[in-house]
Amino acid sequence: MKYLCLVYVEEKTLHAMPQNERIALSNESMAYCDELQKQGQLLAASPLHPVETATTVRVREGKTSTTDGPFAETKEQLGGYLLIDVRDLNDAVRIASKFPAAQYGSIEVRPLKEHGCA
Amino acid sequence: MKFMLIVHHNEDAFEKMDKETQSQLLTESIELTHQLHATGQYVHASPLHPAATAVIVRVREDTPLVTDGPFIETREQIAGYFLVNARDLNEAIRIATRVPGARIGSVEVRPLIEITELPKTV
Repeated sequence: MKYLCLVYVEEKTLHAMPQNERIALSNESMAYCDELQKQGQLLAASPLHPVETATTVRVREGKTSTTDGPFAETKEQLGGYLLIDVRDLNDAVRIASKFPAAQYGSIEVRPLKEHGCA
Repeated sequence: MKFMLIVHHNEDAFEKMDKETQSQLLTESIELTHQLHATGQYVHASPLHPAATAVIVRVREDTPLVTDGPFIETREQIAGYFLVNARDLNEAIRIATRVPGARIGSVEVRPLIEITELPKTV
């Protein structure tokens, strides 16, 4: 089964870290992604640019409106994601709990609909 | 540049739609992925199961804490996503306007930090 792990971290906390700590964290995250890929469990992963770069798009009666900023203002912000392919939710939770950001942020684990939408 | 288009919609409103409208929106979304694929703009896309299936994972002092429910309780919920290649934000926004979810909900457009050291996957 495929799961999307949405990684939420407080950008403020991240920016307040000394640079060497941030780099170590980033290296650790990438090493973990490598490990998951070798096990055939990683489909995609990427960090996202800060939430202030977000644009929200809506179309109503054929008219497009765009607003700056994320869909929801929260204490922690969506900072990246991992798309994984594992046996079940327990495996997905195990993988999420080993991702470095789980130690200071929150990871939302959501199953993909693999057999249609409705 | 790569962008993540995060599609939010109101799950209750979507559930109340007739099956025909629901499957029409799905068909249209699938068509969009094929159009984007043909123009080299498609990376990946998928709908997600309802927000009620979400769990939140946190690790504090080496202890995993798992709680039910989505990270944020909002009027609209994350219904799915599109990962796309676009020249710039304007092109990404243009793609977002073609996502059926933009008509019934909201599409958040977020640029990816492109790291070459990450494993090459999809």
